[in-house]
Amino acid sequence: MPSKRQLTVAAGYAAAGAVYIAIGVWYTDVLLSFFVALAYLLIVAWLVPAGIRRLF
Amino acid sequence: MPLLLGSYAPDMMSKWFVYGIHIGGWDLKATDPVQFHRGWPGVGFTHSLLYGVVWALIFWRVFGSRTWAISFLIGQWAHAITDTGDTVGTMLFFPWTIHIHFGAWAYAGQTGRLTDAAAYFSGPGAVWDLVWIVLGIFSWRVLTRSYFEQHVFTADAFWTKANRFLPMTALLVAYRAAFFYGTCRWIAWSIWAHVVHHYPYDISWGGPHWVHAAHSPPLTSWQLVGVGVIVATGAAAFFVSRFEFSRRRWAALRSRA
Repeated sequence: MPSKRQLTVAAGYAAAGAVYIAIGVWYTDVLLSFFVALAYLLIVAWLVPAGIRRLF
Repeated sequence: MPLLLGSYAPDMMSKWFVYGIHIGGWDLKATDPVQFHRGWPGVGFTHSLLYGVVWALIFWRVFGSRTWAISFLIGQWAHAITDTGDTVGTMLFFPWTIHIHFGAWAYAGQTGRLTDAAAYFSGPGAVWDLVWIVLGIFSWRVLTRSYFEQHVFTADAFWTKANRFLPMTALLVAYRAAFFYGTCRWIAWSIWAHVVHHYPYDISWGGPHWVHAAHSPPLTSWQLVGVGVIVATGAAAFFVSRFEFSRRRWAALRSRA
């Protein structure tokens, strides 16, 4: 079974996925390219958390 | 990374021209999208086994990476073989230009990207994708940080080179992006097709039948015999090479002992 920490990480990705899906349903162009998804995920799962950690 | 690239390679340069694109005052679209995408003349050879072999040889002999060669080959072959599942199929044994097709789901690329997406995510193709998503969830360990650091990062020099510019956390996010994209795309298109636009599901063989699907002609008896000969020859070559490899390895072990 996944650990508590792994489940927390998975929940973060699920939240990021929910936002991506909502944007994709509204504006389907974002669903066409893997590289758009890659850029989005790098921003929300790496750059933003890293920026927040640096600020606080 | 090479496996992902290989799996995208057949459609990477062609799909935009199949669906059409509007740039400034220009509308660019293939006059016969099916012929362009899967046929010859056209870029249908990108969906052949030979195309993967050629790229694998380039990665192996020119760039000196057997890992990239084998991984790219697996990804590209997976795409080419999977696309035989639709009603048009692929020229799997190019330069032989017959289309191998099982007709499990409708090919609707010629109808434009939205109808094509609605059709794909309404038929057996959507079920096929779901199988892989479920398999990915059951194999969740391959998405963990420890698996990435111990098995993926160490196996492919691409990650070591990328690590000069990006931290491990960013690389891990990039590694997970393929599964993230595949899963989210499946959910988003399903919601778009069935909640927002109410396209009907039809997961019967060859479905959905509400879309005007393109078809390749069925293979003749002689073509089926030809396919059988090619597959049998390939299988025989594989088993003979495995046997020869095992024999040499066994001989090397015995000479060491």
